[in-house]
Amino acid sequence: MDRHSHLNYSTNARATNVMLPDLARLVRVIPMVEDNFMFLFRFEDPALNDKFLYKPGQFAEITVIGTGEAPISISSTPTRKGVLEMCIRRMGRVTNALYNLPENSLVGIRGPYGNGYPVEEMKGHDVLIIAGGLGMAPLRSLLNFILDNRSQFGRVVLMYGTKSPDDVLFRDEMESLMRRTDLECLLTVEQAYQYPGAHPWRGKIGMVTELFQHVKDLNVQNTYAAVCGPPIFYKFVLDKLLKLNFSKDHILMSLERRMECGVGKCGHCAIGYKYTCIDGPIFSYWDIVNMPELIEF
Amino acid sequence: MKILKLPKTNFKLFMEGLQNYGEVHVPKKKSSQSFVFGPMENTSEIAMDYLRTINPPKKYFFKPKDTLFNFSSTKGFTEVIEDSDKKIVLFGLHPCDIHGLKILDIVFGTNYPDKYYFARRKNVIVIGLSCMPDDKCFCRSMATDATEDGFDLFLSELKSSYLLTVGSSIGDDISTDLKHLLTEVTKKDTNEYLKIRKERKNRFTLSLDTSDLPYILELQRESEVWEELGKKCLCCGSCSMVCPTCSCFNVYDIKNLITDSGQRVRQWDSCLFKDYAVVAGGHNFRVNRADRVRNRYYDKQNGFVSQYGKPSCTGCGRCIQYCPTKIHVVEVFNKVRGEA
Amino acid sequence: MENNKPKIGIFGLTSCAGDQLAILNCEDELIHLANALDIRDWEMAQTNNDNTTLLDIAFVEGVVAQSRDLEALHAIRKRSKLLVAIGTCAVWGGVAAMKNQIPRDILKKEVYGEEINVVDSMPALPVKSFVKVDIQLPGCPIEKDQFLQVVTSLLRGNLPEILQFSVCSECKMSENACLVIEQGEVCCGALTLSGCNARCPSHNIPCGGCHGPIEEAHYDANVTMFKTHGITKDDIEQKMAMYAAPAWIPDKLLAEK
Repeated sequence: MDRHSHLNYSTNARATNVMLPDLARLVRVIPMVEDNFMFLFRFEDPALNDKFLYKPGQFAEITVIGTGEAPISISSTPTRKGVLEMCIRRMGRVTNALYNLPENSLVGIRGPYGNGYPVEEMKGHDVLIIAGGLGMAPLRSLLNFILDNRSQFGRVVLMYGTKSPDDVLFRDEMESLMRRTDLECLLTVEQAYQYPGAHPWRGKIGMVTELFQHVKDLNVQNTYAAVCGPPIFYKFVLDKLLKLNFSKDHILMSLERRMECGVGKCGHCAIGYKYTCIDGPIFSYWDIVNMPELIEF
Repeated sequence: MKILKLPKTNFKLFMEGLQNYGEVHVPKKKSSQSFVFGPMENTSEIAMDYLRTINPPKKYFFKPKDTLFNFSSTKGFTEVIEDSDKKIVLFGLHPCDIHGLKILDIVFGTNYPDKYYFARRKNVIVIGLSCMPDDKCFCRSMATDATEDGFDLFLSELKSSYLLTVGSSIGDDISTDLKHLLTEVTKKDTNEYLKIRKERKNRFTLSLDTSDLPYILELQRESEVWEELGKKCLCCGSCSMVCPTCSCFNVYDIKNLITDSGQRVRQWDSCLFKDYAVVAGGHNFRVNRADRVRNRYYDKQNGFVSQYGKPSCTGCGRCIQYCPTKIHVVEVFNKVRGEA
Repeated sequence: MENNKPKIGIFGLTSCAGDQLAILNCEDELIHLANALDIRDWEMAQTNNDNTTLLDIAFVEGVVAQSRDLEALHAIRKRSKLLVAIGTCAVWGGVAAMKNQIPRDILKKEVYGEEINVVDSMPALPVKSFVKVDIQLPGCPIEKDQFLQVVTSLLRGNLPEILQFSVCSECKMSENACLVIEQGEVCCGALTLSGCNARCPSHNIPCGGCHGPIEEAHYDANVTMFKTHGITKDDIEQKMAMYAAPAWIPDKLLAEK
């Protein structure tokens, strides 16, 4: 018997240290749009590439050795193993250092953390994916997961809005998505600039919410809406979804907080009794109604 | 439950006997009004009448500044856990502090157990000590004024002896080793204990009404109490540092000058600090002092209750004693209740 | 000789040179510093300085208190990509700024008498009052470890991270009894930026605020607090104004008079 019978938790079998990153290599950097590049990582220990089991919507803590650590959402899908893809915006110290890091550099990765999208519960339902700007990053993981398990989901609609055609993430993928017949892919930009060399625009022009008029016969009762984007975007999209009578717990949002440890300890991402890093970053609109501090519009 | 008696005349020998089990740490006087836990140099310096130390026992398991690992761009990450093999006998914890540790066990043990905390926790023998409350103790309201577990041994003071409760297997080893210092508990001792217990109960002058408190807090989220507190609070973080259950930390890297190597460190943090909820890019989710102050109170009496069914306050009175600007947690909640 | 090391200069305006001395006191790391940096201009530590080359980083100590400080500062700013203000004088004004509210003429007469009127002196103000400052590292003097972390970050192309914690937090981490609560001292700990590991309170000396204020220091609450300990506003102001007067005086102390 454990000599410390008063401890409710076993203390001897704690072989894993969740604060310790695993070594990984930055295998490739793919410029997408300005200050939003795609970074591809692979673990040094080949076994870890298979063992790193994640769900769409989860994140990992990336260490730039000599700079620090930052939480980054995963853009790849667990259905395509081998390389972790992360679309990273140049925002703070660590992401800035990542942009300066040469390919083939060693980094540290901890994770995966967070709840991720409830993909098991979403199976058998229609899914409406609504992205604004960089919000496409975590949603791309969900989208590709669904497409790789296409038969297990109902109707799938992607609505993606950016400021201009130059700001569209995963542009090439969007092109091929638009050709798919098992997906309604609706893209819109606020403005399509006409200048020499500008990306030609075949999508719509206007706000994301205007795309709803092109989605006919939504079976709201049977649909999950996964939403990710900047605060103002949430405000308008949520308004629209609620007007359409979406169930509050079928509206899923990915939130940002200061997730420093990623494992529900350091406290920085706590909102009331919810830890963004454990209970989130995917929250339902019901959580948001219930937790006044959860979102700021 | 095994209960024995330690006559006070044997106390010195008992304390010396504990040294076979590790470095003995005891409450010691630091200043006119303050005490700290520290290594026992001799038994005469044990402040048996202390009520609260500046820092709670958490400092032994969750250090104010703690190296997590070394990093190097060539060798990767090497775990560092200071004092993971150091045996300590921590003597003199009052029931509130034992409850504090039980709460930290939950925080550090749930979801992803914290290796640093438990590496030390398993090496520390906890010996409890009874107490008489002062005007800052409200443990009785928090149901932390007594404890049946969470210790290896517990000493309850009587007039000329201590009742020694054995709480674990290692506690039993110690009591067996030192049995020449111990005697049987008599009927007279039991009566004396009951008398002292009653006296202790009557000594409490401070109480916090916790009934319905999480719900009242929900209703009072926009109360002017928080604005007022925001005006009074220095946001110095003292209350968080001395709190037995505050466990927030900040993580940063200390880098060596010439090589891409260094240490990752974590350090006690406070939700009252301005930058606490700042994310990359600079957005601050709790800009106002009032929001940050409110957050701390809600975490203790609302958030933790929602998650674990009990508050994370132990009523130890440290935040009352060490607030430079005399913010009084019980008065705050009384105001929120509309009863002040 | 061309190299990839950042070209740096270390400069002193009106000051005691204590921060430059703190750099020279880096002992074990000094040789690494000298290796990692291409020190082009550092009057205090070397001869044959080059005062024209463009610099990657300029470290500036001291306060602007004379017209020649101002000229020097503009020249430094002009030739430097990054300007790091080091020490509380450069960041907040320091001791020299203590009496800014009294006109210079009166101060000059007080110190030098009626006859001498050639002293070049102007109200002492921190570097940021005149030029753009990229990084501020206060301290009187600067903490060696913090300075090395700043340099290390800059060498990696990162902006350094300076925690905005109060001295109180470090004081409690060091488990000191509170000098305000137990001894009724005027301790500036709650207003002051950490980094010193609460050096003074750990030696039973109240914090004098030598690192200058934390972001969003709660001035009013501190004054209210000290009043309840029977400490007069004058005492508080005098203490607070010692190292960082320009941070307090224009908006706070004078506004309430």
